[in-house]
Formats: sequence, C-alpha cells, structure tokens
Amino acid sequence: MLNELIHILAAAIISWALFVTIDILFRLPEAGGVSGASAIAEDITKGGGSLHGGTMMGNIVCSPDASAGTLLAACGVYVAGIPGGLAAAVLVYIGNRICHDPGYAGTTGAVIATFVVYGFTLAGFAASDFIAGTVVAILAIQGISHVHASALLTRLSRWRS
Amino acid sequence: MIALPLLGAIAVFAALRAVFERKTGRKLPYLNAMNFAIAGSLVLLLDHPLALVAAAAYFVGSTLESNAIASTYAGGILKDE
Repeated sequence: MLNELIHILAAAIISWALFVTIDILFRLPEAGGVSGASAIAEDITKGGGSLHGGTMMGNIVCSPDASAGTLLAACGVYVAGIPGGLAAAVLVYIGNRICHDPGYAGTTGAVIATFVVYGFTLAGFAASDFIAGTVVAILAIQGISHVHASALLTRLSRWRS
Repeated sequence: MIALPLLGAIAVFAALRAVFERKTGRKLPYLNAMNFAIAGSLVLLLDHPLALVAAAAYFVGSTLESNAIASTYAGGILKDE
C-alpha cells in the first residue's frame, strides 16, 4: 500500500510537469479561449489570484486541455495499452472540437502522455497510479488554493513569453 | 488498491469546496477537479474496455457544461458580438 502511494505521488509529479509544460507551450495562460475562461480568470484575480495563471485555469475548465488528455490517456492505457491511449487521444480531439477549442493542447497531451504512461508501466508503475496521480495533480492546481496556483502558473508562463 | 478510495475522497473534497465557494467563476475549477476524479474512478470501477468511452463521454460532457455555464456567466453570446 505504501508502495502504491509512493507510485501515485511520483505519477502526480510527472503528470503535473507534463501537462503544465504542454499547456504553457500551447499558450493557454495568454488569452481565454472562450469568454467563459476570461470570466473565471477575472474571478480568480478578484479573489487575490494572478491573471495569466487564472486564464490558464479558466481554459482548463472550458475545454479538455493537456491535463484532461493525460487523464484520459492514462485511462486508455489502463484499459487497452497504447491503442487505448491513442483511442483516448481521438476522444479528446472530438471533445476539443465540440468545445470550439482553437488549439490542440489536449490531443497533443494525450498522445505524449500515452507513451509516457506506457513507458512507466514498463518500469513497474501501474496505469492506475497515473489515473490517480493526474487527479491529484489537477487537484493541486484547481482545487486547493486558486491564489497560490495561479501565481505559480503565471511565474512559470513567463519563460514562454 | 488505494487509487479508487483516493479518487473518491478527492471528488467529495472538491465537491464540498464548490458548494462552499460563493463566486460562480471560482466554483468551476473545483468542479473541474471533481470531474477529473469521477472520470478516473469510472474507469477503475468498470472493468470493461468501454469504460474508456464512458469516462471520455462523461468528461467531455461535463467540460461542455462548464464551458456553457462559464460563457453564460460571462454574459453569453451577446457580449461576444
């Protein structure tokens, strides 16, 4: 049980780094993809948060981004290995189109995460560790402290611009 | 297996944060975290290949809902024009 807990924690750190990097590369902190994302960013800013981090958080809410791609890719690998992960990428792509997302952060994230998760299953991790790990990682961004998470994301997004 | 109870606990925690948060714009990120936990637990609970489709359908559907709520909260389509 302790071993599984350590695996989940490691998976959380890996998936956090993976999807935050991809989201920032796809310029999610720069502008709201839909008007709703900007409204969420505004509320986070009013609550003492930071604008660009808030915008990225709004974009994560409003369309399947790289974090959703990572979660569904881990689910896909859990169900059916690499083909399952790639099937998840197709589902994320459809989700992006339904939400009128102009970017491809979610699909790219799902494809990359498929190979990352599969690689770690060869190294003794279970795909379920990554399912739980990604949820812990998204909780750290969206569910604990909007003020601190948005400030950190804004700081990280500076190297992109 | 500790993954499933952990996801359940995160879903309840995020749901409670959403309930007690007053601003709609800040409720949605909490709900997003809850949706992640529920989509993940669907796959762990259903031992079937189609569990992936169920999780993706749930997740995309809930994202679309959040998208619609957030856009309406922002003033709807009228504001875009």
